[in-house]
Amino acid sequence: MTTVIQMLINGILLGSVYALLGVGMTMIFGIVKLTNLAHGEFIIIGAFGSTLLAQALGVDPILTLVITVPMMFIAGVLLQTVLINRVMLQGSEPALLVTFGLSIILKDAMLLLFTADARHANVPYSTATIRLPAGLHIAVLDLVVFAISLATILILTLFLRHTYMGRAIRATSDDTAAASLMGVSVRRTYGIAMGIAMATAAVAGLGVGMRWTFYPSSGGDYLLIAFGVVVIGGMGSIPGTLVAGLIFGLAQVIGGANYGMLISYILLILMLAVRPQGLFSK
Amino acid sequence: MKKLDIFGRKNANTKSITSGLKQVRVLDGMPMLIACIVIVAALYVLGAAGVLNSNTQRYLLKIFLYCTLGSMWNLMSGYTGMTSLGQQTFIGLAGYSLTVMTATYAMSYWVGFLAGTVISAIVSLILAIILFRMRGMYFAVATWVIAEALRTFFTSWKFVRQGAGMTVAARPYPSTTTIYLIALTLCIIALVVIYFLLKSKVGLGLTAMRDDADAASSVGVDIFKSKLLVFVICAIFTALAGGVFYLNKGSIYPAGGFGISWTVSIVFIVIIGGIGTMAGPVLGSIIYVILEEQLAKLPGGWTNIVLGLIAILVILFLPDGIVGTLQKKFNFEILSQKRFSKE
Repeated sequence: MTTVIQMLINGILLGSVYALLGVGMTMIFGIVKLTNLAHGEFIIIGAFGSTLLAQALGVDPILTLVITVPMMFIAGVLLQTVLINRVMLQGSEPALLVTFGLSIILKDAMLLLFTADARHANVPYSTATIRLPAGLHIAVLDLVVFAISLATILILTLFLRHTYMGRAIRATSDDTAAASLMGVSVRRTYGIAMGIAMATAAVAGLGVGMRWTFYPSSGGDYLLIAFGVVVIGGMGSIPGTLVAGLIFGLAQVIGGANYGMLISYILLILMLAVRPQGLFSK
Repeated sequence: MKKLDIFGRKNANTKSITSGLKQVRVLDGMPMLIACIVIVAALYVLGAAGVLNSNTQRYLLKIFLYCTLGSMWNLMSGYTGMTSLGQQTFIGLAGYSLTVMTATYAMSYWVGFLAGTVISAIVSLILAIILFRMRGMYFAVATWVIAEALRTFFTSWKFVRQGAGMTVAARPYPSTTTIYLIALTLCIIALVVIYFLLKSKVGLGLTAMRDDADAASSVGVDIFKSKLLVFVICAIFTALAGGVFYLNKGSIYPAGGFGISWTVSIVFIVIIGGIGTMAGPVLGSIIYVILEEQLAKLPGGWTNIVLGLIAILVILFLPDGIVGTLQKKFNFEILSQKRFSKE
């Protein structure tokens, strides 16, 4: 019984990070209608940013978000307005292939810049655990990353619900033509959506760097997790992302180190075949 | 594929409509056939007679294999609208079939090729059941996920020595000339199969299906059957090319055999050459192999950075690729699958 509850706890803690990995991708999917195959690399850029800045400045990696989040936001806006908006005029497949090209460029550029060494964002509390009754325990690090993930998703939800820009983004997502007739600049909205997606990737990168070691080539693994979360949760649905993240986290914890990923992949393929619109689609 | 302008401007695709009105010269028939036969015969004779040294042979055999892979991907994506990011599934399966048959069971490499082909055909039939429920990006990413799932599985499968990989042990090991001739033959068969498939009624149905699946189905194109045919043919030829590649390379490991870098190369070849053209992947594979060899000489890993940049620039400025752009500009088509009315 204790093991089951422990697995559940671990699965939930892990699932929150997975949800954070997927939330930026689901926004781009839902709003820009684009499969961003470079999202994994964006996450790894965020991870490198936080890890290296924390080392250089000698501060807690969480504080580096003050720098990485705005930087990534600007990079996302530029990327969308300069490059992707232009390719999207040619249809969805050229845009898909451009993000694919971007992903291989970024991966190898990081390899050149940062070498193939394993990296990790060190925190003083990395080995601390909280003991609970009945032999249960929670790692402080996991709990911190859990809190960051939930906070990010909450802020994003509030932004989309209660601000003018958020409403414009949701309107564009629901009906691009109608939103554009109501005076929403579609180009600008797409740019901001990509900026927000990259900002969430910066936070997700911090989570990845704190919980695991990562390499310049790790992007593909996180992209597939993010994609799985997006598909299972339903394109563009943020609550769906949370639930799907938890499902993925549990699958991972149950499958263990060897078969966790395999179970997740099979789950994802089955989901794609049976209910491609996801659990929470509109 | 429906082309909606997302920014509410007028349709940017009027060019393709006007070019349809002009007279298009098709380069095929007798002169083209003779030219092809001369080139092919020269490649055979030069290879078999030992005029080409083994370095040149390796260059060329890589071009033949990439040309096979690219042409098959082009058949799926450019003509049928199934953009796969997971053809490495079949390359890996074929590579491992070859190594297991030659190393574990001490059979001839031909048995290895046969096993790879049969396994890939069966796997493609099973995958088709799942994949054909999806369209567009779902299809693309699902194919990739399948390849990744296989990579993870092979990395922990003891029978194939897990992540450490295996060595091909064909006895006697074929010479570079033999592999060159096998690769050349494979490439020619692949191109001939694609050409006649596209010329046939099935091929016309396929392009109709790519442009508008609902309309094609309403005029009697059996979508499922046509897609299945293409998918299985592509799986078989991709597997054969993968088998020959690993016979040349000599060893395989999961991250290589099922790696996404296969798709990177294939997509590059087809995009550069011109998606949806017969000659595009041929030109693309020549450019790719030359670039790859030249870039490998640079210090550091610049290859993918340069290839990725070129691919993005081509998508931005030459969306029809080199061959496609030339064809549109000068109103000709090399070996078109279209049937033009004779006037």
